[in-house]
Amino acid sequence: MSGEITPIPVGQSSFGDRYEVIVASPLVEFGTPGGQAFKAIDRENKSSAIYAFVHDPAVPLRNELYKPLQSRPIGNLICPLNRGLMTLDASGSKQRLVTIFNRPTGGALIDAKGVLNPRVNPNVLRQTVVLALLKALTALHKIGFNHRSISASGIYFVSAESNDVVVGECYSSPAGFQQPFANEALEIAFADKSARGAGSFATDFYQLGAALQSLIFGEALWKGRSRSTLGMARVNQGSYWALSGGRDIPGAMGTLIRGLMADELDERWGAEEVLDWFEGIGKTKRTSMSSWAMSRPTNFEGVAFVDRRLLADAFGREPRAAAEFLKTIDFPSWMQMSFRDEILTEKLENNLNVRPSEGFGGLRADDHKMVARVCMFLYPTGPIYYKGLSLVPSGIPALVADAFKQDDKDMLGIVLEMFDLKFLSALTEIVGDKNATFGTEVTNLKKILEHGPSKQLGRGMERVLYELNPILPCASMRFERVWIGSIKQMMRALDRLAGVGGGKNILLDRHVAAFCATHGDGLERDFNNLAVAQSNPAKFNIMSVELFGQLQRRLQLEVLPHLSEKLVDGLAQTVKGLKNKKRREVVQNALDKLKKVGDITRVMVDVNMAQVQALDDREFSQACNTVTKLERERQKLAQKVLPTHPEAKQKGYKGARLIAFFSFALLTFMTFY
Amino acid sequence: MAKPAGKKPLTKKRPVRRAKKEMNPFMPILLICLGGLALFKMGAAILLAAGLVPTIVLGITGKGSFKSEKLQCVSFMNLSGVLTQFPTVWARPNSVYDIIGEPINLLVMWGAAGFGYALIFVGPMIAAFAVQMLAQERTKSIIQQKQALVELWGTDVLGSKDDEPAASKSKLKK
Repeated sequence: MSGEITPIPVGQSSFGDRYEVIVASPLVEFGTPGGQAFKAIDRENKSSAIYAFVHDPAVPLRNELYKPLQSRPIGNLICPLNRGLMTLDASGSKQRLVTIFNRPTGGALIDAKGVLNPRVNPNVLRQTVVLALLKALTALHKIGFNHRSISASGIYFVSAESNDVVVGECYSSPAGFQQPFANEALEIAFADKSARGAGSFATDFYQLGAALQSLIFGEALWKGRSRSTLGMARVNQGSYWALSGGRDIPGAMGTLIRGLMADELDERWGAEEVLDWFEGIGKTKRTSMSSWAMSRPTNFEGVAFVDRRLLADAFGREPRAAAEFLKTIDFPSWMQMSFRDEILTEKLENNLNVRPSEGFGGLRADDHKMVARVCMFLYPTGPIYYKGLSLVPSGIPALVADAFKQDDKDMLGIVLEMFDLKFLSALTEIVGDKNATFGTEVTNLKKILEHGPSKQLGRGMERVLYELNPILPCASMRFERVWIGSIKQMMRALDRLAGVGGGKNILLDRHVAAFCATHGDGLERDFNNLAVAQSNPAKFNIMSVELFGQLQRRLQLEVLPHLSEKLVDGLAQTVKGLKNKKRREVVQNALDKLKKVGDITRVMVDVNMAQVQALDDREFSQACNTVTKLERERQKLAQKVLPTHPEAKQKGYKGARLIAFFSFALLTFMTFY
Repeated sequence: MAKPAGKKPLTKKRPVRRAKKEMNPFMPILLICLGGLALFKMGAAILLAAGLVPTIVLGITGKGSFKSEKLQCVSFMNLSGVLTQFPTVWARPNSVYDIIGEPINLLVMWGAAGFGYALIFVGPMIAAFAVQMLAQERTKSIIQQKQALVELWGTDVLGSKDDEPAASKSKLKK
């Protein structure tokens, strides 16, 4: 199997010798779900404190943030300095993407174990931390991005001497990826950890409030709280009270945090309100949950629900029971009784399409979707609940990446079932104008989701993965030790792989095909043809040469001797199959010459095996026909010709007539002249 | 289902067309020519009528394939025989009865026609021999062509065993 793992390029580093990553010194406090952080040394500026972030190839990073933050770093935010591929010896030698960040040396405000930094006190928080974080967030929001990873353990003192703080980086993993339930604003918190989506600027302010609350209490409030109980508490009492456990924060800080942690988007404080707060203009707001309350409680699974968000969540978590429940009740009456303020229009009823039980037990095909539609109606600003999954449409890219990382085929299957345009359209109709971003997010996904159900090579869920996460490297097992971020890198890696005798049928690898189809224009058809030809090795090898040759030319790649040799060797069977001996020799000689050159394009152009094979087949067929004709003629000629043979008779009589005519002509001449 | 008895089938039987016998133009032409000639030279017409008896017989009785070739062959030879006496009759038409009366003259005229019959008999034999010789030459050339094709394309070009007589294939392989 070792021959099937691509070897890493020897001694290659995008940074040259500038950065040294000390893999023996991990920096846990800077680690994120997107990878690990290690101590690093900048050889050109030894006094600078930096750390190297080694990215996990299975977790997409927020690539769109890199350039803006690297070119114009934001104060009070850890911004990337540089990035590139490096070969690291962390757990076996591997090529990984490494991003270099400035390293704050003062330590996290709360460490990974939940211990508060002794330098943190209400004064520091009020005078320094709030302002620093506000500055970082407003600057980030100004360039069009949100942070979505703010937590008390992700805020650091710049140095041991200074009280200035910086907030951790937000580029190494998708927005809100794997954030604790408590640290996410209520409108997206109910979604699964890996599918909370892009969020909004308001979600950053909620996280700021939650982080400040933890710092005020000196505890990691997000830890050790079960989702169900905390969710119920957050809905019933408000996030501020639920997280604090009923403890109030007196004074101005309390006002600020309550404002920031408001669960209703309209009531949540933003940058303007925080600035007002700095200037002493109080703007107290209380959260109200009246809009989410049902007119009558609904008993489901032994619990009486009054809040429709909690009911939606309960339905979403227990979809089978919810389906049974919905099928047994008189849905229109239940709607009328529970939501007196809402009118169940015919359109909405059609969209919800809740059908009563049809007499036989068990789940119907549409039951899970029916539950999802009802959940969406109950909680239009919340996530989509489907078969136990809850997700925000913009969180699907990260969710799919996570499912591939975990190799969770069930989750992929559920996501695939959701790729039903009719179902998504119904959800969009149900949400209506209650969730402004939902329709746009679904529309953005629609085109990509078409690939999901396809079994074709270069499509399927693998294609969805790469289309949704273009920054993700190729996840093929053969590339587990290298980072394949582009087709160019893939071609070079394949050359190395071919050098150690691997890479057989690499183009039939679904990840490789999907990656190429995503990153290369018009390659989809080539992969379809390859899939069709996979049962015909000779044709498959010819098509492989053509594809690689085309890529080598298009990407203007240098010579790839090993890959070229491998591909030419793959053509041996085809050459052997040529019927014309002369042609076989000529082609073999040409291939032997080109094999050493390493130019696949020339193999494709100069030899053009497909054309040669077609010509050979055609000429062979003609030769066979000729032989058959000759044999037929020979058999005919082998028969003995008797005077009774029609041909002999015809020729004989004609000859006799000719002789008679000449005799007559001669005698006539002699008689009269 | 059985058809009800006494009812005629709906489809009418087409009357079978008998192939018309091709009319032989020989006799009319000959009669016209002899008639025309009789207007000018009665003796010459009588000589021709008597001398061309074998041709006339063949023209009337001849059938089967290559009838025209056979008739032409006998006609030309018969005419050759008649031509030997033709200048004499042309010059002295009254001598025609003497000439016809001489058996030797009739033998010459009718013998020439017999020679024509002999040509008809021998012609196909000679032709069969010649065709056989040519076929042997052509067979040699075919074998050479096949050999060249096998050398270029291998024995696969000979096709499957079912298509090819075993003897010829093994011969070529050798």
